[in-house]
Amino acid sequence: MTRLDARRAVAAVVALAVLAAAGGAGQAAPVAPRLPDIPVPKVSEGGPGIRGGTLVVSTISDPKTFNVVVAQETSSSAAVGPVFEGLVEEHGETTEVEPAMAESWSVSPDGRTWTFNLRQGIKWFDGKPFTADDVVFTFDALYDPKVINSFADVLTMGGKKIAYKKVDAHTVQFITPTPFGPFLRTIGIPIIPRHKLEAAYKAGKFMQTWGVNTPPREIVGTGPFMLTKYEPAQRLTYERNPNYWRVSKAGTRLPYLDRMVRLIVPNVETARLKFQAGETDVYGIRGREFSAFKRDAARGNYSVYEGGPGFGIEFITFNQNPRGAKPPKLGWFSNVKFRQAVAHAIDRQRLINQVHAGRAVPQYGPESPANKLFFNPNTRQYPYDPKRAEALLKETGLSRGQDGKLRDAQSNPVEFELNTSAGSSDAEATSRIIKDNLEALGMKVNFLPRDFNLLVSKLDASFDWDAIYIGLTGGVDPHNGRNVYHSTGSLHFWNPRQKQPATPWEAEMDRVFDGAASTVDQARRRQRYNRYQEIIAEQLPVIPTVQSLGQTAVRNTLGNIRYTNYGGALWNIWDIYRKR
Amino acid sequence: MLRYVLRRLLQMVPVLLWMTMITFMVMQLAPGDYFTNLQLNPQISRETLDRIRHTLGLDQPWYIQYVQWLWSIVRLDFGFSFAWQVPVAWLLGSRMVNTLLLSLTSMTAAWMLAIPLGIYAATRQYRPGDHLLTVLALIGISVPGFFAALLLLYVAFYTGWLPIGGMTSPNFDLLSPLGRVLDVTHHLVLPTIVLGVLSVAGLMRQLRGNMLDVLRQDYVRMARAKGLAERAVIYKHALRNALNPLVTIFGYELGGLLSGAALVEGVIGWPGLGQLTLEAVLKKDLYLIMGSVLMGGFMLQMGNLAGDIMLAYLDPRIRYE
Amino acid sequence: MVSPTPKRRQEPRPVVRGWRRSLTVLCRHRLAAAGAVIIMLLYASALFADPVAPYGPAFDDKEKFYHPPVYIRVMHEGRLQRPFVYNYVLADPGTRAYAEDRARPYPIRVLVRGDAYRYLGLIPSNLHLLGVDQPARLFLLGTDQFGRDAFTLLLFGGRISLTIGLVGEAITTVLGMLVGGIAGYYGGMLDNILMRVVELLQGFPSFYLFLFLSAIIPAGVSSGMRMMMIIAILSLIGWAGFARIIRGMVLSLREVEFVQAARALGLGDLRIIWRHVLPNTYSYIIVVISLTLPGYILGESGLSFFGLGVQDSWGNMLAKAQDLTVLTQYPWLLAPGVFILLTVLAFNTLGDGLRDALDPRAQSS
Repeated sequence: MTRLDARRAVAAVVALAVLAAAGGAGQAAPVAPRLPDIPVPKVSEGGPGIRGGTLVVSTISDPKTFNVVVAQETSSSAAVGPVFEGLVEEHGETTEVEPAMAESWSVSPDGRTWTFNLRQGIKWFDGKPFTADDVVFTFDALYDPKVINSFADVLTMGGKKIAYKKVDAHTVQFITPTPFGPFLRTIGIPIIPRHKLEAAYKAGKFMQTWGVNTPPREIVGTGPFMLTKYEPAQRLTYERNPNYWRVSKAGTRLPYLDRMVRLIVPNVETARLKFQAGETDVYGIRGREFSAFKRDAARGNYSVYEGGPGFGIEFITFNQNPRGAKPPKLGWFSNVKFRQAVAHAIDRQRLINQVHAGRAVPQYGPESPANKLFFNPNTRQYPYDPKRAEALLKETGLSRGQDGKLRDAQSNPVEFELNTSAGSSDAEATSRIIKDNLEALGMKVNFLPRDFNLLVSKLDASFDWDAIYIGLTGGVDPHNGRNVYHSTGSLHFWNPRQKQPATPWEAEMDRVFDGAASTVDQARRRQRYNRYQEIIAEQLPVIPTVQSLGQTAVRNTLGNIRYTNYGGALWNIWDIYRKR
Repeated sequence: MLRYVLRRLLQMVPVLLWMTMITFMVMQLAPGDYFTNLQLNPQISRETLDRIRHTLGLDQPWYIQYVQWLWSIVRLDFGFSFAWQVPVAWLLGSRMVNTLLLSLTSMTAAWMLAIPLGIYAATRQYRPGDHLLTVLALIGISVPGFFAALLLLYVAFYTGWLPIGGMTSPNFDLLSPLGRVLDVTHHLVLPTIVLGVLSVAGLMRQLRGNMLDVLRQDYVRMARAKGLAERAVIYKHALRNALNPLVTIFGYELGGLLSGAALVEGVIGWPGLGQLTLEAVLKKDLYLIMGSVLMGGFMLQMGNLAGDIMLAYLDPRIRYE
Repeated sequence: MVSPTPKRRQEPRPVVRGWRRSLTVLCRHRLAAAGAVIIMLLYASALFADPVAPYGPAFDDKEKFYHPPVYIRVMHEGRLQRPFVYNYVLADPGTRAYAEDRARPYPIRVLVRGDAYRYLGLIPSNLHLLGVDQPARLFLLGTDQFGRDAFTLLLFGGRISLTIGLVGEAITTVLGMLVGGIAGYYGGMLDNILMRVVELLQGFPSFYLFLFLSAIIPAGVSSGMRMMMIIAILSLIGWAGFARIIRGMVLSLREVEFVQAARALGLGDLRIIWRHVLPNTYSYIIVVISLTLPGYILGESGLSFFGLGVQDSWGNMLAKAQDLTVLTQYPWLLAPGVFILLTVLAFNTLGDGLRDALDPRAQSS
């Protein structure tokens, strides 16, 4: 299931109250399905299923904590993903924000005050009711400077926190310092039970509470599954939450499955064998395995689902920071024509064929084509064209001499170092091909994979680097990339933390990001973000390469699978059932 | 001897001090710390990270941090892991038994096989049996353990004879006590082959070489000339002298009982200390690393001491004073 | 001196017949000789990689990646021909399956013109021992992910791996013998101090040392220089355990008669250690060297993790090939493993022969 986290930001809906049951109730069933203890359950749109059965999946590493607020890694957040939920959630297919533990919400005309009506009747696993106090407690905890978490900074605008208060037992209100465009997508933080954690929080021990040495029954959430057992480095076992607040169209209380087991399999090859042997039900296929898996699908009684391109971006970036890069390199790298030449020189088809076994698409702008809400297809494109690249280089004063070496006007040979994170075979393969492509133009590229920490310290502190190939994960709302594209951002790799924007286009981009963040109207935000994509594709501070396609194999004995690259195979875990 | 042992035990303290101090220092020299990883996370600001570092004292010079760590060790507090936010002692404890189980079985298997095979190869030098063992041994040492594990898993997958990794079956809790023992044993076979049987290669070849040496010595000839039975010659006289370098290795291996083989554990999915430590090292999870360095250093010295004692027992001529 | 082979003596059965004995001796010398020949071939092919390899180290065929090894055929349309290959065409882009295009044979030519090179950085040439006309390719061991000829890479990779192994072993062995010899011979206090240093080396995580080194190696260091550093690092870490073993042996050896006799003669300590004590460990050391060789060749690839490795060494090529997709679809990429095994086998048989030769009591014929 998709854990809603703050990075996935949003498409805000202005002053709109969405009723939970509105979805399927209108056409299919004349009367919305009900549950005895929950007046307005969320009706799932999934097809009918059968109760019972166990789902077995594998995961690459141990959870580091069961405390969902301080969890930093996917291994931890995924482990407690089925246990905790937020007020709102993202739909795995449409990526739109939907009601979850909040039944509905409204926003004031000035776009600053958001009021959430909590779903009534939801109970924590230990039987205590879920109320506004839990929501308030969650925000207390995450805004606490002693509690390290990834939510607080995203929910801070210009140094100011969002104000929050309990209106009554089932109503919570948030007031943002300024209108905040991505609000809905950042507010779906997993809610934790006050009655279980308050004592530890007051004692200043919140960070250490609910560590992996906690008895799993103590980990109390509201999600579809309860954690029942954790065997370190072996497996996590979950059981169905009998009081879950979702219901099928036919009125069956969800989830369908009785149990779920998450095997900890540190090696991907072993995970593959386990799937092929029938021990697990889901396997995320890597590009180069795709053909073999498709070929063996019938024999292995599974189907291969294709999820299209992913989110995020992989790119090569050049150092344009006068605090780090020295002439003559600084001159080459800050010339937009040089970067455009590089973009034209990269043989993306070769990257797709040789690194991704055909399972990728070219990407020329900062947003992935998978981003249905914000992707702008009308940006400048850079098809593979060495001739064009050479011409562009000539325009910047770089030309090839008799010896085939590219030199600038002062006859300095164009030579620089290209780094990537050591140990990632795909990144190394990509860098090699890029090196090959650039050397064909007469440059000399010294490719050197570097330890990740060293790379970070170069990017972030010493600024002593030439070119780096690296990837960033992404989300739906481009606001997520603010730290990268805003000139004050610490991840503004090519020239971070600027006092004043160094170039006119960076100044314009600052305006775009600031404007879009304080706009709540989705259409206007989209317009602004269209402009940002045009600027990046034109100026190429980061030169995107390719976007890999997602694919997953799922056993045919499972029903209601709606795999997407964004949400994964299990985002609708409550709908998934085992066929008989 | 007792005095020697006591002195060795006392020497452990300064060695451990040096060892941990050098580790602390070298870690400081290598770039970054545990929180460097989070610096590329757009959701966490630099200010937050600086605050965290300050709270945890990571912004202090390494020697201050080291002294603080030492002080907590004196109070038997191993500290908390940054990554896990649980006590280091709990983390190490949760996997210690698993690692010990695997290293004991594989070590036992290795030595039980290596000694007879080494003798066999030495007494049949350059005959087909010897050649076969040589080739097998060399294949054993030429295949990286990680890959050997993967190959064997593939075999397990094809034949279905052995489980594909892990230490217990998912239904472990439902089994009878005997069933549980059998289940773990079944899971132990594969990693034991990888770690144990493959390490037979080196031991066997070394023993073979030494046996050949010893068998050429005058006193062995004398023993034979006196008409001693071949078995007695080999086991009573020759083997004893041929074992010298192997005893040192044995001591070292004893010291490594709790180290765990990270890569093989990773492939097999064995819930041991090796993987835990490797991950800690990769992430610079300071106190977890220090905990395992301390434990490893202690074990290493105990093992070496045991090796030295055995050496003296094996060869009465050896004196340490 | 009529000293019979020790082998005969330890035989449970009485006597080996004359002809069988000579056969055994011959066979054993042959093995050692075969080992030596293989080693020479390996080194020669690395040394002469440029002319021997069908392609240059920078060569790649972008269309023909994951190309299987070519079949060398002699029969075309039912008729015997000089050895030739067919051109291969891509049959399935998904799994990268290729098929032979049987329309036209491409004979394998000897001494052909191909990728230009400067042999040993001096002699410019473009002659290659073997080659075929385009569009066919002489991929004897197939191609890798980038469409590079695996055989060519292996020859060039051998330069790195075979050097790293030998030089690394040499440094480790000398250091280990020295420290082990001194510690074992003197014993007592000196032994204690040296062994505690050894334990320090064994006990602290060298990982961070590698990280530190990788951080301070400046950019643009030539790959040859980087290789030398790797060798130095590997062997500086590697000698500690070895020294302990030697020390254990010396502790015992220093008590035997001839050492006591040398001491009585008033010979210097270092001379006794080096000339009288340590030679008794030689045959053990030979075994250890031939056993630890693959550790160096493979260990180098582990350093890639820190950005310290040398690309396209055998270790690195093998490290990249260790997964199920390669195993099931492109198994020829495991060839470096076969070469490592071959090297180790050769060194071991040579080592066995050397051992016998070094042992004064083993003069058999």
